[in-house]
Amino acid sequence: MTTSQTSPLIEMRNVRKSFGLFEVLKGISLSVNDGGVVCIIGPSGSGKSTILRCINGLTPIDSGTIRVGDFSVESLRSDKKLIPLRHEVAMVFQQYNLFPHRTVMQNLMMAPVQVLRQNADEVRDRAEKLLAKVRLTGKESAYPGELSGGQQQRVAIARALAMEPRVILFDEITAALDPEMVSEVLSVVRDLAAEGMTCVLVTHEMRFAEEVADEVFFTDRGVIVEHGPPSTLFKSPSDPRLKDFLDKVL
Amino acid sequence: MNSELRTFLLGIVGVPLCLLGLFAAVYGDNTGAMLGLMAERTPTLLTGSPDITSLDGGFLANIAMSIIAMAIAAVGGVILGVGLIAEFSIVRHVSDVVMNVLRNSPWLVVLYAMLYLLPFEVEIFGVYVTISPFIKSVIGLSLPVAANIAEIFRGGIQAIPSAQWESARSLGYRRLQILRHIILPQALPLMIPNLMTIYAMLFIGTSLVVVTGASDILSAAKVIIATTGSETASGFYIYILFLFFLFAFPIAILTRCLERRIGSVSL
Ligand SMILES: Nc1ncnc2c1ncn2[C@@H]1O[C@H](COP(=O)(O)OP(=O)(O)OP(=O)(O)O)[C@@H](O)[C@H]1O
Ligand SMILES: [Mg+2]
Repeated sequence: MTTSQTSPLIEMRNVRKSFGLFEVLKGISLSVNDGGVVCIIGPSGSGKSTILRCINGLTPIDSGTIRVGDFSVESLRSDKKLIPLRHEVAMVFQQYNLFPHRTVMQNLMMAPVQVLRQNADEVRDRAEKLLAKVRLTGKESAYPGELSGGQQQRVAIARALAMEPRVILFDEITAALDPEMVSEVLSVVRDLAAEGMTCVLVTHEMRFAEEVADEVFFTDRGVIVEHGPPSTLFKSPSDPRLKDFLDKVL
Repeated sequence: MNSELRTFLLGIVGVPLCLLGLFAAVYGDNTGAMLGLMAERTPTLLTGSPDITSLDGGFLANIAMSIIAMAIAAVGGVILGVGLIAEFSIVRHVSDVVMNVLRNSPWLVVLYAMLYLLPFEVEIFGVYVTISPFIKSVIGLSLPVAANIAEIFRGGIQAIPSAQWESARSLGYRRLQILRHIILPQALPLMIPNLMTIYAMLFIGTSLVVVTGASDILSAAKVIIATTGSETASGFYIYILFLFFLFAFPIAILTRCLERRIGSVSL
């Protein structure tokens, strides 16, 4: 980049979304720089997951705009048109959502081969490197059901990486894990962040957010109440709702 | 010894013994002679002809009809089942109505309807093809079975958590790809026990086709009884019960084994 004024990789502007009469997102605006790490925190039901699902087009929005790289997400209305976006934006879920009938290796290889039509041998090489990266070499032929929660979640991260995305969305990926497995998953995310992968994390791990995030967004009832670098947001919150929330979770 | 094997041995020995007891209770001192008559007429009951010159009648016809009807119903059921989970609500509603009408029609009524609704012959590309009672029976049986299979198909697919759809979509898969690569491979094993149960029901249901004039085991029995006398009827019908049991019972046991296997896999 030659200019210092680079445009953000993800830009949501005034996004609204209702389910029936219930307005879940009431004008969300946020942006994420290329290589940036953004954390979204907030009480349950405040719309954090919905924000992530809008970014990769899983949930269509009612109004506003979402831009990811060159894609204008709200204009991609069919799954077919969304394929290139999903190539760039990967997602990791709280419940891992691996494909239980396929081995670890197959879980990593399926989408690149079946969706992106990439060469299987090349994908296998890449998948092996990714398994090494998430420290699961040797588990290639295991089925997800044979792995611990922490191991499954690391497979899910490797599966997301196998798509060679520009952004990964993480939705409370440690919330379903036993405490002793949280750190093994977080350290994988930490590595990714350090390597410059653009990450958007919904998380309840405040210390981790404080450590890795460039910017933290606090959501409450469908609006972003406050955002800023973790140092200011966590140390000197200005909004009473955020103060309240931090008192409860810290 | 596992519980299915025990049930199997108990049933495969116990039920024939009970039927034999019933047989003896009906015929008393004549039991031996009646059993001899049964043995003598077995080829006719099984194949429709006393010297096994043709194989298109009797019990073999029941088996053949059940297999052909099941194959037709499987194809129709999957098509209807895809309709039941279609994205467009009109397709979904139409499929739902068709499925419910067919599934809730008494089989005997459907068979009678085939008898009167289907023409005697049809012209296909200038060739006249007779619609035999056999074909009418197969079509009549496959309609309600297809509806049941459609419902099994829908149930199996809906048993797979929606999170699987979601993670597949986030990897760029499209609807039919998700069905084919992710949902069906997981749902099919869940459907197999139900499919086997509906097959066993279909097989037992082939005893109804006698109303269409198809030459199945019951029509063979009727012909035999016309010559051997009505006092032999009970014996023949007990014997037919025995034959149906011999065919359907192992399927039922196998179904239970599979159900248990699948249950233990998903636990
Ligand atoms: N598909 C849907 N249909 C109807 N309501 C929905 C749907 N998805 C989400 N909601 C509702 O929208 C609200 C926000 O949901 P969302 O999952 O985004 O919250 P969240 O901040 O991620 O909460 P949590 O911390 O519990 O995961 C919730 O009240 C939820 O019930
Ligand atoms: Mg959530």
